[in-house]
Amino acid sequence: MLIVVPIDLFASGVTTRTFTEMFVQMVLVVGLYLFVGNSGVISFGHVGFMCIGAYATAWLTVPPMMKQFTIKGLPEILAQAQLPFLPSVLLAGLLAAAVAVPVGLVLMRLSGIAASIATFAFLAIVNNVYSNWDAWTAGTSSIVGIPTETNIWTSWLFASAAILVAYAYSVSRFGLALRSARDEPVAAAAAGIDMVFQRTIAFVGSAFLCGVAGALYAHFLGVVNPDAFFLSVTFTALAMLILGGMSSLSGAVTGVVFVTLLISLFRTLERGVSVGDASFSLPAGSQEIAIGIAMILVLIRRPAGLIGNREFKWTRSPAKAERRHKPAI
Amino acid sequence: MNPPRLIADRIAVSFAGLRALSDVSLELVSGAVHGLIGPNGAGKTTLVNILTGFQAPTAGNYRLDGERLNGLPPHKVRRGGIARTFQGGRLFKDLTVLENLEVAGLGLGLDRGAAEVLAEEVLEWIGIADLADELAGSLPYTDERRVGIGRALVGRPAFILMDEPAAGMSVHEAEALGRLILRIAEERHCGVLVIEHNIGLVLDICSHITVLDSGEIIEAGDPETIRRSEAVRHAYMGTQADIVSDAAVL
Repeated sequence: MLIVVPIDLFASGVTTRTFTEMFVQMVLVVGLYLFVGNSGVISFGHVGFMCIGAYATAWLTVPPMMKQFTIKGLPEILAQAQLPFLPSVLLAGLLAAAVAVPVGLVLMRLSGIAASIATFAFLAIVNNVYSNWDAWTAGTSSIVGIPTETNIWTSWLFASAAILVAYAYSVSRFGLALRSARDEPVAAAAAGIDMVFQRTIAFVGSAFLCGVAGALYAHFLGVVNPDAFFLSVTFTALAMLILGGMSSLSGAVTGVVFVTLLISLFRTLERGVSVGDASFSLPAGSQEIAIGIAMILVLIRRPAGLIGNREFKWTRSPAKAERRHKPAI
Repeated sequence: MNPPRLIADRIAVSFAGLRALSDVSLELVSGAVHGLIGPNGAGKTTLVNILTGFQAPTAGNYRLDGERLNGLPPHKVRRGGIARTFQGGRLFKDLTVLENLEVAGLGLGLDRGAAEVLAEEVLEWIGIADLADELAGSLPYTDERRVGIGRALVGRPAFILMDEPAAGMSVHEAEALGRLILRIAEERHCGVLVIEHNIGLVLDICSHITVLDSGEIIEAGDPETIRRSEAVRHAYMGTQADIVSDAAVL
């Protein structure tokens, strides 16, 4: 709130857009954290769920008049549909989650690098299908006419809700069980934890958040096309998560803010800055190099990310404080 | 009512033609402490891995109260009432001691509140309730072992299999551990299998001992039988120099 109010009132259009985009990214990265942070398996595939969510909301919200021309192959019920923003975004998340169930049941049997590569294969499959499924997705051309409902307020609300969902998951029995399997899979199995099941739950939950992020992004741009949800977003999202600290929610959030600020700083410098009489500008593409350098520096100085695996805390939880002060019997 | 029994019946394992275990049978009864000893590489840990679902036997089967356990994955074996500890603890280092035990409750299908109650009960019972909020990764060695045992005790399993619980402990610490193991059998009516190189400890606390060498049972019986056995003496003296001092107890 403290950030949003002044931005909404005073900031320029560019700044508002930067922050809106940041909050959408936050939904994505917090969704990614829910799986990656708790399971320890790096996923390159979650932007695939973002793609699924973005197209789902396009099917549901683009006015029927426009759908006739761009996506002719939709079944009648979708072709006529024109849902409001909120139900559409939630349905988009649910579709992503539904796809994640069978995918998760198969992929979660793999471990370590094999699992990561398989998630990358999933991203490639989604991109290929959506690039060629002309009747539903208009192939590689863009679908236009998505109502631009994502503004600084709605994106902020969704980012806050995503953080709450991820926090609730982390402290739930499922989150604790999965983190135990992340640290010591063998001992977790010996403690009765079914790792495949626990990972699948996290995978589906994070797919939901990433699907919502995709829908929000579609409502931000007003346009979707498959290549907006491919490698570049995947690597930005992973850079945010890893820079901030992939095993903590606070780290995920910090990473999003840090990388967004870094990118917009370099974008400004690329456009050119004048100091007195002189003006200078960085060559285009410096922001990518800057993120690369920042990532290397952070990983050398703080291998676990800026925040490591700690969480920001307001107060100590009352139960724990009470136990500490209980006299030893 | 008969006490629960965990029976291993002619278990055999071979890796690429090498026989790690052949025709190994043993029977654990709840409330009794059973020792499993033998030189390094005798196949003791392999047997524990099989009985807890981490490894499939090439032949033979194992049953809990007459029910075949072959093919069950480890987490189902644990829910069925057979728990284990590991050489070197394998605690969840980033979690607190309380959470380490809580995870075992979650594994049994409890929610966090109920799991926490069980975890606290076990910590009290062992006498390490004051460690509850410590990070498991920061514990000294002996506490680490006791937390590992605590994690295996959550949910009152019928059997607990311990893989070298006293490794690296001083004489004094090993004695305290021995008393804890006896309490587990007597007060919690749990059947315990102890793999140990500390032969003195095994002779002190076990009512029955099985001796493995090169994957075969070379002797089984009460401590007195083992103490007198020529085969056991030979197995130890003939193989490993560093256990000669242990064998002197025999």
